[in-house]
Amino acid sequence: MNVTAKERPGAAVGPRVGGGLGGRAWIWAALIALGLVILVLAPTYLLLESEQRTLASVFMFVVLAQGWNLIGGFAGYPSFGNVVFFGLGGYTTAVLMAKAGANFWLTVPAAAVVGLGFAALMGIPILRLKGHYFAIATLGVAEGMREVVINVGGLTGGNKGITVPAVGSEATTSYPGNTGFYFYFLALAVLSIVVVWAVSRSRFGYALRAISQDEDAAAAAGINTTRAKIAAFALSGMLTALAGAIYAFQQVTIYPERLFSVDITVLMVVMCVLGGAGTVLGPVIGGVLLQYLSEWLRDNFTDYHTFVFGAIIVIAVLVLPMGIVNFARDSWKGRRIAPFEAVRQYRL
Amino acid sequence: MSEFLQATVYGLLEGGLLALVAIGFSLVWGVMNIVNLAHGAFVITGAYIAWKLNTELGLDPYLGMFVSAAALFLAGYVVQRFLINNVVNAPIWMTLLLTFGLDLLIVQGLQLLFTADFRSIHTGWGSDGLAIGDVRVPYGRLAGFGLAVAVTLALVWFMTRTRTGLAVRTTGMDRAAARLMGVNVRHVYALTFGLSAALAAMAGAILGSINTFSPSAAGGFTLQSFVIAVLGGLGNMWGALAGGILLGLVQAWGGQYLSGTLVNAIAFGVLVLVLIVRPAGLLGRPYYEARAEA
Repeated sequence: MNVTAKERPGAAVGPRVGGGLGGRAWIWAALIALGLVILVLAPTYLLLESEQRTLASVFMFVVLAQGWNLIGGFAGYPSFGNVVFFGLGGYTTAVLMAKAGANFWLTVPAAAVVGLGFAALMGIPILRLKGHYFAIATLGVAEGMREVVINVGGLTGGNKGITVPAVGSEATTSYPGNTGFYFYFLALAVLSIVVVWAVSRSRFGYALRAISQDEDAAAAAGINTTRAKIAAFALSGMLTALAGAIYAFQQVTIYPERLFSVDITVLMVVMCVLGGAGTVLGPVIGGVLLQYLSEWLRDNFTDYHTFVFGAIIVIAVLVLPMGIVNFARDSWKGRRIAPFEAVRQYRL
Repeated sequence: MSEFLQATVYGLLEGGLLALVAIGFSLVWGVMNIVNLAHGAFVITGAYIAWKLNTELGLDPYLGMFVSAAALFLAGYVVQRFLINNVVNAPIWMTLLLTFGLDLLIVQGLQLLFTADFRSIHTGWGSDGLAIGDVRVPYGRLAGFGLAVAVTLALVWFMTRTRTGLAVRTTGMDRAAARLMGVNVRHVYALTFGLSAALAAMAGAILGSINTFSPSAAGGFTLQSFVIAVLGGLGNMWGALAGGILLGLVQAWGGQYLSGTLVNAIAFGVLVLVLIVRPAGLLGRPYYEARAEA
């Protein structure tokens, strides 16, 4: 009856994901290459500075959504505290640049190591929890980490925030401006997509999908579930921390309230789920659509934008619970568009 | 020493109200496996209704809370029946997202209606109190605590002694079996959610007469409900009462002896520890251990 949907969170998206591109692979490759060329040339020929800034934030959220996709979409572990890696990455960069006078490019690998290491360490106890318990434990870690960062003011500046030396004689690395950050975030977004693509086609990716569908069965089939889950979490933490590192430099001054905000976690989840959790393309589509939408709402409905955004989340969850990518695929394969089919599947 | 006693009394009394906030959250989680991120928003909505009744009509919050509870019961019933029931069988992040969207809608709606200013409900008698030695016990907090205990007792009675209560518990244990026994599960889910919202609104009305509140306080109540529900064990009503009082005490003592916001870090630390070491809650086995997903 409803057993499949309830007990196997990834069932609706799992098995269909890894399908090969078949004979049309070269068309896809050409399209991707063309898209990349356009994105690389765009700042010079097409985009205003403000548009580059918007796109940089779009790319950043693609990275964050892909990071969540690894642990939430593939492994089926709904982390509600992924922002902790974002914040730790950002603070690693900011503290190293401001207190130790390190070059930005040295702090980036440091942030990656911190994100990876913290995810692995926190994963060892927390990945034993499942479902809501996992979600809330991760949320607790993120909220707790924010309070810790606030309370070690000597190192992090506490609530007043920390400013990286970006201009003048104290600057350790010259500030790259909007165009620079456009390319940094673009590169990171491409990296995150490649990582997720590689994972989705690898043995490791299939192990994660198996865990998402039935962890006991996966273990019985010879998958070291603990190792696979921790690896997925660590990879997710690394990508997210890298985004945080670049974000900290871009913002120059960062605050714990913003860098550990639950809203960022929720955005990751919404983008990934709306686009299609457990797919390679889903988080890209979700990230681009929602970040654009959110910027547009901010410009056009200054007072109401959060209200409208809440309404959009509610409607999106009710109408497209399986995500845009899977909806499009089902519509294409079945040669029919059935917008409420998912509701029929998931309702009580 | 008297500082410590004063903090203990305040923590104990406030803990009772926190328990009232969390008891419905715990019930919804235990019975339906739904974590309602809009729970704090229900608390604040209840506070605003009582505040409006107080400023416009001069109604005492202890009467206004019944209006709050009735309004939120209806709202909760409708939300569950027509929105959340549609994604109950989806992966769990769906219900989390849906209730988060609702939380944004309600909190921002309240902010647009009433602005982000801090409000409080004034009663003529709430801040008077009796003194036991050096320790002051305000009547407002004392009455709030008494109410919380009374409502918990009433809820336990309802859940264990009435047919409807039994239907709710049956549904929580095994949904498919409950359906086979003729329980209208859609109605029971909506009823449980409505009840949870009503209790939250009641607690909100009383909290509004003790402390100040604004729409942005909603998230804090949701998080406290998490901690209490986990401490007490899901759907365990006595557990929620014990968890609420424990959290109230820890926060009061922490506020007395620790600097700034480190109290919150400790609350979250306790939460994560309990989850890892004793996920069934502090009061032994979870009430709905026999749950069978179907």
